[in-house]
Amino acid sequence: MTPLQYYLALAAALFAVGAWGVVARRNIILVVMCLELMLNAVNIALAAFSNYSAIGPGRGEVFVFIVLAVAAAEVAVGLAIGIAMYRLRERLDVDELDDLKG
Amino acid sequence: MNGFSTPLFYIVAAIVIIPAVLMVSFRNLIYSAVAMIVSFTGVAIVFITLNAELLAAAQLLIYVGAISILILFAIMLTKQRSGEIQLFFHRQAWAALPAAVILAAVLGVVLGRGRYNYAPRPQNPATAQLSRLLFNQYALPFELVSLVLLVAIAGAILLAKREKRR
Amino acid sequence: MKAVVLLIPLLPLVSFVFTGLLGRRYLKEKSHYASVAAVAISWLLSMYVFIQVERGQTLSWQIYSWIAVGHFSVDIGFLVDELTAIMLLVVATVGFMVHVYSIGYMHGDKGYYRFFAYINLFMFSMFMLVLANNYLLLYVFWEAVGLCSYLLIAFWFPKVSASNAGMKAFLVNRVGDFGFSLGIMLIFVTLGTLSYSGVFAAAGGLSGGMVTAICLLLFTGAVGKSAQFPLHVWLPDAMEGPTPVSSLIHAATMVNAGVYMVARSNPLFAHSHTAMLVVAIIGTFTAIFAATIAMVQTDIKKVLAYSTVSQLGYMFMALGVGAWTAAMFHLLVHGFFKGLLFLCSGSVIHAMGGEQDMLKMGGLRKKIKITYWTFLIGALALSGFPGLSGFFSKDAVLAGAFDGGYYYFWIVAVITVFLTAFYSFRLIFLTFFNEPRDARLFAHAHESPWVMTVPLIVLAVPTVGAGLLLGVPPESGHIDHLLHGVFAAAIHAPAHEFGLLSASLMAFSAAVGIAGILLAWHFYLRCPWLPAKACKRSGRLYTLLLNKYYIDEIYFAVIINPVRRFSGWLWRIVDTGVIDGAVNGAGWLAVGAGRAFRPIQSGKIQGYLFAMMLGLLALLAVYLILTL
Repeated sequence: MTPLQYYLALAAALFAVGAWGVVARRNIILVVMCLELMLNAVNIALAAFSNYSAIGPGRGEVFVFIVLAVAAAEVAVGLAIGIAMYRLRERLDVDELDDLKG
Repeated sequence: MNGFSTPLFYIVAAIVIIPAVLMVSFRNLIYSAVAMIVSFTGVAIVFITLNAELLAAAQLLIYVGAISILILFAIMLTKQRSGEIQLFFHRQAWAALPAAVILAAVLGVVLGRGRYNYAPRPQNPATAQLSRLLFNQYALPFELVSLVLLVAIAGAILLAKREKRR
Repeated sequence: MKAVVLLIPLLPLVSFVFTGLLGRRYLKEKSHYASVAAVAISWLLSMYVFIQVERGQTLSWQIYSWIAVGHFSVDIGFLVDELTAIMLLVVATVGFMVHVYSIGYMHGDKGYYRFFAYINLFMFSMFMLVLANNYLLLYVFWEAVGLCSYLLIAFWFPKVSASNAGMKAFLVNRVGDFGFSLGIMLIFVTLGTLSYSGVFAAAGGLSGGMVTAICLLLFTGAVGKSAQFPLHVWLPDAMEGPTPVSSLIHAATMVNAGVYMVARSNPLFAHSHTAMLVVAIIGTFTAIFAATIAMVQTDIKKVLAYSTVSQLGYMFMALGVGAWTAAMFHLLVHGFFKGLLFLCSGSVIHAMGGEQDMLKMGGLRKKIKITYWTFLIGALALSGFPGLSGFFSKDAVLAGAFDGGYYYFWIVAVITVFLTAFYSFRLIFLTFFNEPRDARLFAHAHESPWVMTVPLIVLAVPTVGAGLLLGVPPESGHIDHLLHGVFAAAIHAPAHEFGLLSASLMAFSAAVGIAGILLAWHFYLRCPWLPAKACKRSGRLYTLLLNKYYIDEIYFAVIINPVRRFSGWLWRIVDTGVIDGAVNGAGWLAVGAGRAFRPIQSGKIQGYLFAMMLGLLALLAVYLILTL
């Protein structure tokens, strides 16, 4: 059996890659995609804990299902915002959305 | 899938991580999307190694199936009319890369150092048992999530709808 | 029984919400349908409850735990015993009659729906006040009836005098209620409970000084609500409200709340002779004090208002001398006949097209017959004419004072009987007899519609019969048996037999009352030129009475103006200087800080995200270092 820590390390790495993408790329659609990567990282950690934990078998998996549904909702709204933005400005640069600057 | 060997784990991990890094790096969005699909498929395999077959199926259906297609459509709908953006990367990207690496390291250390209460054998239950859990004990959160989805869909339609010309 | 008791306050509440929400748009002139129906049902249910209680079925019911913190708990609960039943009877009967009467009196008013909504809210609050089983709930609805009183006094708020009168009533009551709330807090601090049963059971263990302090503080509240000296000033001004309101709230029900509260607290007061004496002194003084003012007033409603203050003084005197039953008996009877008198005065005012000055009336006897006869019955009852209800209750009060050995109080009370009879019949003679003094108004005068005269006739029935029914034989009549259990803790001496002495006292007080009526007859019918001469002769005294002993002016000079001057000083120096300075300074500080930190808010989302990422890193690093 592969130790739990391996899975956690994988989750941490995937999370960091996602975070890097969110911060580094300018295209709003890619930012949404990277958010999905981060959610996947969390899902891996949850499923791993669920598999290795001595208490409450399957609880983590239930969580993953809920995360999946919320992620679907988030993608739908995020992409809708992207399309609306494109229609409004004809550009997808996240930095364009700075109307709230002080 | 008891006794899943460690070398095999490295291969699966590579299927997850390498496409992810590529996805962030590609200039062409279509390439990025394809890399993302590969990475998501890798996550599905990870789920299989964790005895979570139903999860793996759901991962394939929702992420690889639905979300990827949605993203591809979004990419095609928003083809840059005014030419490509000159800068693919944000100004702060040079600082973000080391920060991300350090984040990965620190997260790994923090997670790895935890003292976990190990189960003697894999705990993820069979599908029937999981469904019982989902529809008895967690029925309320499940229903709530369905409501969230409904609201999100309504909101997405409203946002993406073409505004009427006045 | 439980459902019935619950429905009594609930129906007016539902009707209040219904009428209040829908009245303006949809119900309009039909606003009274729901409210009159609700109160009618409440009245029937109250009768049922009264009969049940009379058969010995009382109710103590915890409905809901409202506040529960540690050892402190306040329940919403009902206590229905003989005392409650009597209050329910008065409140529901007069309330129902006033509702019917208001259909006619308020007809065509712009705020028709508003009137019925408020008066329903009042009925709800008053029922709850009477039904409550603990002091906090009593206090809540004590304030609620005060609020309704304010809303209804200031009902015609575009009139400055009306809105001022409302405010005055509210503020003066605040003084009393402050004392009342302190009393309740003191009860809680010393006894740790607020329910009637708990407080009365533990009252015996308190030190004498503490009981006196609690009783005096509670009595302060009663002084405010029941308009006793020196907090009586709001009640005469409250006559600015519509007359049905004066009848219901300021004569028959709300002002009785003080008497009810003291009577309810009888196990506490029984432990403090000092507090009882204070109650008796204030009550007796107020009785004669208000009666003298009533003698010279010319506004028909003001006379009745001072009369109410005076009669409430009677009740407090009865409470103070330990004649608990007599006080409740007088409360019951007074509720009926004073409610009747006010409704009659409303009918007179209606006939005169809004005129309230008695000097412009006269000769109305032939024009408004029903009003005249019912008014006469009410005035006879108020004067203590033998056979009518007021005679028995007043005599019970007087007998209580005499039997208790409070002879000075008895003498003052007998003088007050004389004054009461005099001013009641001064009112009757000025309004209904002689030649009309204002021909134009007289020509216009007409009897009120049947919705207004029927309540007068209905209320005249208990005004005549309640005394005979409940108070005969004196001191061991039906009401004494009914209330015996409630006041068992407070009445020490056994009721003695009705003897020759009692009979002669009774005859004496009746004679005094008739003498007062005869004097009024002499002054206003036989020699109508006499009053003017008497006024001139008494000079200063007359002016003093006409100006109500200058109490309002004294309050202005001693309290209100100094407070105003002090407030002005506070405003100029403290408010504009210190407080505004601090506020403006804080404002400038915030503006400066905002200007300094503004560049950070670039609006670039990814900048924020990067900052979040670095923050997460920092947190994890701190965690790592701490757990190393």
